[in-house]
Amino acid sequence: MAKKRNATILVAVITVAAVVILFWRPTVLIYGLQAAGLYASIAIPMGLILGIVHIVNLAHGEFMMLAAYATFMVCQAFGLDPFVAMVPVALVTAAFGFMIYKLTIRQALKSPELNQLILTFGISIAITQLINLSFTSQTRKMSFDYVSASVDIGELSFGIYNFVFVVIAILMVIGLRLYLTKTISGKAALAVGQNPKGASIVGIDVDKTYGFVFALASGMIGMMGALFITRSSIFPGVGGPFTMKSFCLIAMAGVGNIPGILGASVLLGISENFLKAFRGTRGWADIVFFVLIITVILGRSIKGKKA
Amino acid sequence: MSKLTTTGLTKAFSGLVAVNNVSFHMDEGEILGIIGPNGAGKTTFIHLVSGILLPTSGSITFKGNDITYAPAHVRSRMGIARTYQLIHPLENLKVIENVMVGAVFSKDKSLKEARKSAEAICAELELGRLERDTAQLSILEIKKMEIARALANEPEVLFLDEVMAGLNSDETKQLIATVQRIARERKLAVGVVEHVMGVIRELTHRVIVLEAGELIAEGTYETVSKNPRVIEAYLGGAA
Amino acid sequence: MKFKTSYLVAAVVAAIMIAFPTFLGAYPLNVARSVMTYMALAITWDMLLRSGQISFGIAGLFGLGSYASILAVLRGGMDPLLSIVFATVFSGAMAYALGFAILRLRAMYFSITTLALMEIFRIVIHNMHDFSGGPEGVVLPTVIFGGNASALYWLCLGGLFITIGASWFFEKSKMHLALTAIRNDETSARSNGVNIFKYLLITFVVTSAMQGMMGAIQVQSYGFTAPDTAFDANFTLLPLAIALLGGIHSTVGPMAGAVLLGVAAEWLKLKIPYGHLIVYGIIIILVILFMPQGIVGMIRRAGRAAGRAGKQTGANHE
Repeated sequence: MAKKRNATILVAVITVAAVVILFWRPTVLIYGLQAAGLYASIAIPMGLILGIVHIVNLAHGEFMMLAAYATFMVCQAFGLDPFVAMVPVALVTAAFGFMIYKLTIRQALKSPELNQLILTFGISIAITQLINLSFTSQTRKMSFDYVSASVDIGELSFGIYNFVFVVIAILMVIGLRLYLTKTISGKAALAVGQNPKGASIVGIDVDKTYGFVFALASGMIGMMGALFITRSSIFPGVGGPFTMKSFCLIAMAGVGNIPGILGASVLLGISENFLKAFRGTRGWADIVFFVLIITVILGRSIKGKKA
Repeated sequence: MSKLTTTGLTKAFSGLVAVNNVSFHMDEGEILGIIGPNGAGKTTFIHLVSGILLPTSGSITFKGNDITYAPAHVRSRMGIARTYQLIHPLENLKVIENVMVGAVFSKDKSLKEARKSAEAICAELELGRLERDTAQLSILEIKKMEIARALANEPEVLFLDEVMAGLNSDETKQLIATVQRIARERKLAVGVVEHVMGVIRELTHRVIVLEAGELIAEGTYETVSKNPRVIEAYLGGAA
Repeated sequence: MKFKTSYLVAAVVAAIMIAFPTFLGAYPLNVARSVMTYMALAITWDMLLRSGQISFGIAGLFGLGSYASILAVLRGGMDPLLSIVFATVFSGAMAYALGFAILRLRAMYFSITTLALMEIFRIVIHNMHDFSGGPEGVVLPTVIFGGNASALYWLCLGGLFITIGASWFFEKSKMHLALTAIRNDETSARSNGVNIFKYLLITFVVTSAMQGMMGAIQVQSYGFTAPDTAFDANFTLLPLAIALLGGIHSTVGPMAGAVLLGVAAEWLKLKIPYGHLIVYGIIIILVILFMPQGIVGMIRRAGRAAGRAGKQTGANHE
């Protein structure tokens, strides 16, 4: 099932990409891939939580925003580069995620799904407003020379820094695959994700696994928060849209299908950049994703009905 | 004329055939036992007939009308009611409201009329203190409430999926008598799934036996229980 | 007996509310309008929640209604009061069309889709520069009723009364049985004759229409709107917090929550200009974790426990 879905997404992506390259500017492809790298590397930690803890963390983007602010402070105070600061920030975010899990989400695991949804919604508001309270809604920005690195090929000139995110996304997928299939703790996490009751019967500590997965995913998103600041200015509401986008990508790939998130991200990134490339449709680029999410969810539900 | 018939009814779940080519009929005033080892497809069969699941192939007719693909709520309005193997109380409604649901939505009664008929049905089933929450009910009372809710639909065909499970022998006896009485008084066709053969023997006029989704025997309890294929199905299931 | 007292209380409260403008100044009336708007939105959110469906798209319908109303006046030359009716019908019709698709979804898929729809509305309005005024928004030449504070208050109160009336009707009619049955157990509801889709659609259309109506009332009272004002996430967030705090699955709960949080919000806005919304986030978290029944639910439970204790001591005396 998951393989078939990957294949479908892949075919769609290749077709779109081919048409774009052949008949139009290659920058759409380049910037589309770069955007896809960012989307995927933010969505993957959320997919990990959804696949194993079965919680939709609506505060996902806010975790990243929080980490970005932490990075901002650390870099300002100690003159560090975000690529250095990301290590302590990731550790702190992991601890923060673990604490959020222990204090709130763990208590709601047995509640109805709706309560969990509202709970994480509340957490996202609290985090956004906490930052709003301490930093106001003013945007913050840090500039770095290496970000503007560009490459010229013939007449074509484009920024290459953002390919960092593509590399990170691929590393995340490979790393998670290795972790989930080669380590004992990863295998346990996979078992818990598939069947918590069964896993606890064979002696796996489900609560501990959930806590660890939550911390791991939070650490990953913390790292992304640190790097996010190299690419974009930050403000309290900056994380919100990424929660939605991540959820959309996961829904497209199918819960539990982490490599599929890559394909879905490419589709989203390229379609968005396609619209952005025309003056007339630039303003509509944001809508792509919302239309995609609704199409995907409705498509799912219709398919589910037929089966 | 038969109230309810199925012809070649089949349901497959991605390769696994849960109900395979079952043709059967149910007549007015008849209590029919549906038996078979665990996983034989008894509950799936009732799901198909009541519209909770749609069949892969085959057809279902009710009083001569084809209802193969009719939605569940339409079937209950036509006169097919059922209870569930796993109890399904509506926990945020009071006992009386639970029973009223059937009358309000299947028979389009006003709340007042529905309350009246629900009270009458509960009285008939000796279910009292109707303003309670469902959490305060005993198992017997919950089972009675679910039967009452099904009866409030004023059905002509009623399926009882393991209503006796979890009851002690006195309670079982009491409920058997109740089911027989309501079936007789309302000229209902009743389909009963039970695991306890004593209940089937007491309660039913006729029995069908399912094994691995197929109908393997049909007849009175006495004849069916002597059928070698049935005996083997049960022993095979036990081994 | 119990019924008569509750009717009496309701009538007295309604009378006091209608009489507010005679003894309150413009500022408190303004605050009251904002509280009433959030109260109405909280009630409509709760009405749909009674079927188990949780909407994150209140702001979407609210914004849609406000734009429908203001554009009907500006572009269509419609009478402002009539434009409110138009916006109500428009939002309801929109919900009817959308309902066929999204009411087949459940749980998180439904919630996320409502959120996405809201964003789509916002982006569409944002981008239709010539028609909708784009990101800068649109301004009416005059405010409805010439901006008379009492009249604006009564208009808003009228909207609130309609909402309360609808919610009360939902509680007392067979809608209550239908929605609760759907929330508790869809399978059981289906096999007892409940047409699930029909009752979800009715509820979705009615609540969306009322959300649109409150948006229209708001926009006519302020005389301007912009995408970021009309589709402000607060119109989703505050009603949610209000209903949760007050107590879900009832009309009284959201009302109590709105009075508490609405007044608190005005006070907090003055004390903490940035980030006073953090209080709402924390309330949502605490309520979900520690009192999912809300205030009204807790009072009810306490009342029941007291009643039971009373009965027991009574029995002991015998």
